[in-house]
Amino acid sequence: MLRKPSRAAPAAALLTALVVTPVVPPEAVAAQARVPVEEFELDNGMRFLAVVRPEMTTVAAGWAAHVGSANERPGITGMSHFFEHMMFKGTPTVGTSDAERDEAIIEEQEALQEQIRAVYRDRRAAARLGHIGDPFGDEDLPEEMATLRQQFDALVDEQRTLMVKDEFDRIYTEAGATGMNAFTSHDQTVYFITVPQNRLELWFWMESERLLRPVFREFYAERDVVHEERRLRTESTPTGEFDETFDAMFWQSHPYSWPIIGWPSDLRVFTLAQAQEFYDTYYVPGNLTGALVGNFDLEEAKALAEKYFGRLRPGAEAPDVVTLEMEQKAGKRLDASCDCQPQVRIRYHTVPFRHRDQYALDVLAGLMNGRTGRLYKTLVLGDEIASSAAAFQQNRKWAGLIEITAEARGEATPDDLEAAIERELQRLIDEPIPAEEIQKVKNQAAASAWEQLDSGFFLLLQLLVYDSLGDWNYMNEWADATLAVTEEDIKRVARQYLVPTNRAVAHYTRKAGTSAEPVPAELADLPEAVQRQILAQIRQIRESTDRVALEGALEQFAAMRSQAPPPMQGAMEYVEQAIRERLAELPSPGEEAR
Amino acid sequence: MNATKNVPGTAPGIRRLVAAAALTGLFAAPAAGQDIPDRPEELVFPDFLFETPDGGDVHHRLANGVPVVIVEDHTLPLVRLAVSLRIGSFLDPEDQVGLASLTATMMREGGAGDRTPEELDERIEFLAARISVSAQDTEARASLRTITPVFEESLELFFDVLMQPRFDEGRFAVRKENVREDLRQRNDDADNLLAREWDFLLYGRDSYLGRRMTVGHLDAIAKDDLAEFHRRAWRPEHMVWSVSGDVDTAEILAVLEERLGAWPEAPDAFDVPWPPPHDAPAPAPGIYHVEKDIPQGKVRIGNLAPRWDSWDNPERAAIQVMDHILGASGFTSRIMQRVRSDEGLAYGAGGRFGFNPLGPSAYSMGYQSKSSTVALAGAIALEEVRRIRDEPVSPEELDLAKRSLVDSFPRRFESAQARAGIFANDAFLRRDHGYWIRWREQIEAVTADDVMAAARKYLRPEEMVMLVVGVWEDIAPGDPEGRADMTDLLNGEVTHLPGRDPLTLEALSPEGQER
Repeated sequence: MLRKPSRAAPAAALLTALVVTPVVPPEAVAAQARVPVEEFELDNGMRFLAVVRPEMTTVAAGWAAHVGSANERPGITGMSHFFEHMMFKGTPTVGTSDAERDEAIIEEQEALQEQIRAVYRDRRAAARLGHIGDPFGDEDLPEEMATLRQQFDALVDEQRTLMVKDEFDRIYTEAGATGMNAFTSHDQTVYFITVPQNRLELWFWMESERLLRPVFREFYAERDVVHEERRLRTESTPTGEFDETFDAMFWQSHPYSWPIIGWPSDLRVFTLAQAQEFYDTYYVPGNLTGALVGNFDLEEAKALAEKYFGRLRPGAEAPDVVTLEMEQKAGKRLDASCDCQPQVRIRYHTVPFRHRDQYALDVLAGLMNGRTGRLYKTLVLGDEIASSAAAFQQNRKWAGLIEITAEARGEATPDDLEAAIERELQRLIDEPIPAEEIQKVKNQAAASAWEQLDSGFFLLLQLLVYDSLGDWNYMNEWADATLAVTEEDIKRVARQYLVPTNRAVAHYTRKAGTSAEPVPAELADLPEAVQRQILAQIRQIRESTDRVALEGALEQFAAMRSQAPPPMQGAMEYVEQAIRERLAELPSPGEEAR
Repeated sequence: MNATKNVPGTAPGIRRLVAAAALTGLFAAPAAGQDIPDRPEELVFPDFLFETPDGGDVHHRLANGVPVVIVEDHTLPLVRLAVSLRIGSFLDPEDQVGLASLTATMMREGGAGDRTPEELDERIEFLAARISVSAQDTEARASLRTITPVFEESLELFFDVLMQPRFDEGRFAVRKENVREDLRQRNDDADNLLAREWDFLLYGRDSYLGRRMTVGHLDAIAKDDLAEFHRRAWRPEHMVWSVSGDVDTAEILAVLEERLGAWPEAPDAFDVPWPPPHDAPAPAPGIYHVEKDIPQGKVRIGNLAPRWDSWDNPERAAIQVMDHILGASGFTSRIMQRVRSDEGLAYGAGGRFGFNPLGPSAYSMGYQSKSSTVALAGAIALEEVRRIRDEPVSPEELDLAKRSLVDSFPRRFESAQARAGIFANDAFLRRDHGYWIRWREQIEAVTADDVMAAARKYLRPEEMVMLVVGVWEDIAPGDPEGRADMTDLLNGEVTHLPGRDPLTLEALSPEGQER
């Protein structure tokens, strides 16, 4: 464990005298903020990372498969994430009372799904010809489909009579384990839980069993759950769908372009056989890392790892992602309107995980962030055009990006925000960067080097994430590398990466008729779509300087109003009023418009 | 299964936790290929005797009576310090809703002591310290997170923020404009909309739990109001301190003794009623709907319950076991299993009883589902509410819930920070530390009859309200197979709540009801 640092804290005493003194001498960080990881590898190639912490009452335990959405291809997008869900379904002995019949049912279900997929194939063809709309909708469904679905539902019902629902979860829960969960990213899938310190062997049993002999039961019911997750995270959030568009636009050739949760059309049709193939390719011991942080005996843990995970058969080496992102040659722009505050996102391609430029880019982002960061000072406090602004640098396994975002305040537009951000980035290149400002960011890095070790559970996640990105040793290296960054390094990466041809910009503006623009009582009875149209018209009216057109419109409205249905009459009156108000603001005829 | 049993011990002292947990020698050294059982029940686990730490060991009291909880932990050079006060937005004047919260925000943002806002921010960020100040309904809180080498100077800054905030005019103007933007956005996200309308519905718009700031309130708050609120409310007599990490108990106590002793007098200090009075008329049962163009319906269902005024009440344990079985334990709970695992209707579904020792408690369930299956998921959730009231839970479910609650108990005390948090919260609620000593025994004692009695008393379908945010036209008819539509739920009465201007929260159309 870490040695307790000296309480005398000479650095603190110096602070008042010399402002740019680091709050912690860099050598102290290098010497002390280290995570003491015991690393071992099984014969089958699976690696383990262990950190013993006697002060904990539990063991945080987990493993990562070095596979994520970047390893997918069109047709099976979303498979990695779907897998994460399937891994909780059990084994031949966990989750069913009759493994044999269970397996037979799964095969019968698959045969029916193959026929359902054939129907979808026809319906995609019909949709291409314009005969139907959504191939997965209920419009003109062949009768055959109803029969297939009925047969399938009958099998689901039968399977359910054999199933021990969510038994995988139940076994852990009953043992006092907590926080069982998993997540999927572009580059990894991570499974984790916290177990009471005397139940460590249960973790080894459960995790090795589900890796050794997983059963993908409830494949199709789980697909519906993932659809709900997609609705929740993407389709029901103010900017979700556009964020997806922005990703697809930003990444030209790299598989980072599709969403982790997958395209809906792929989710509808991928097959159990494809899932099995994916599993056999990527869930091999050499592509897995296990980790334990907490109160346990290291030698026992090693023996248990060998006993349980040693059973996994070594497989072929998992394939690399070979498609490289094409160098961007032209700027890209996206304009979207949503139920959201006007905002801007500016992105540049940077570098992958542990690239030597990562640390200078991190410091660059650090200069931008925080209440004393350049973005807050300029956009929020100085120009008062933003209510918030931030930068983040993300270095994924195969490629990286830096993104700056800001939300508009008052009448400011995304254009204003974009211009101000560009000015700030240019200043990094054109003007000297004060030493104190760089030191501030380094001080924060020094503090983070310790803070990252604080929570046992968080430490576990970091080890698994960094190891599946390339190397867990990053945890012990990044702070030193960051403390070594110079002003010239920062300017160099700014000049190299923050260039217009390497940039993608998204402007989000508020959709007409949405909440921030109150719907006046005169329009309240109308359908929302009509409200939106009218509000858009009114905005046009308020911006119009064409007296003749406005007067013409006024006459037309007055003539039409008497024939309009009652709910529309009030609305038309409202529009007429807006036209009159606008006319009153405009210079009268003959007066020179400015 | 249950090869182990937790036996609360008798010897005092936290250090023994570690000793009691020694596993060495209990595993036979396994060789590869050794028999591995087909089922986990066959595994044999060593005993783990977890002794509940006694909060009394780390509880101190300053001369002026202020409680201080200090848990030392010298493994890392990190210090965390926090002060909670028994004040909050319940003290907001009617025409200045948000005053407590804005005061807290501006204590941090508006400069302090002899530092302008810029100087204060620069110093805090240069030291890589984190200072935050906030106020909720019934608690205000300020916290400091720092590394040991700069603890002393960070603490100076922290006390400046606590005792001498400057509420700088310019920064306050900027903050007000940013709050205005926040208000403007509060219909955008369906979850925010759901949370707000739920509070309106359950607690009423006049209650401190229901009311929300409007642009009128914001405009009515001036710099002097912040300073006055700070002077009258941020007083030592409302405080509870908690400190954990690389500190020395005697040193911390000496510093706090000195600082709090020098707190300026305030003759006009608020006379704070505690618990804050709350008079919430129960909402009319039925279904309520707010229109929002999203492909899902987002739902809450629930009912109010009395203030939780006694932590000795054994019903607490029965409710927790009931909660675990019905909706609070993720995949193990009945609601999640039926709504998600069986039917694939939702990504998340569950329910929980909210014990509130300071105001009304409430039971609430929540889920989100595609529009056409909102009714079906709701019908299933309500069926489960009825079932747990009408039928005793099975011995297996009861045992699973108890084992889970009891065996996961040690995790609550996992770190110094966690222990400091738990015991400081006890002091804040004026709850005796015996609560935790008795906790596991009380859970173990719960019977199936207790669960049913708790369900009958606290889950009240006839009083329940259901709030749905989504597209009513798509939600109302229910699923295509006709398994459930919205008229099947509760009493079938639907009230369409109006859209609201996000700045004023005034209704944009009259409320309508249909049957």
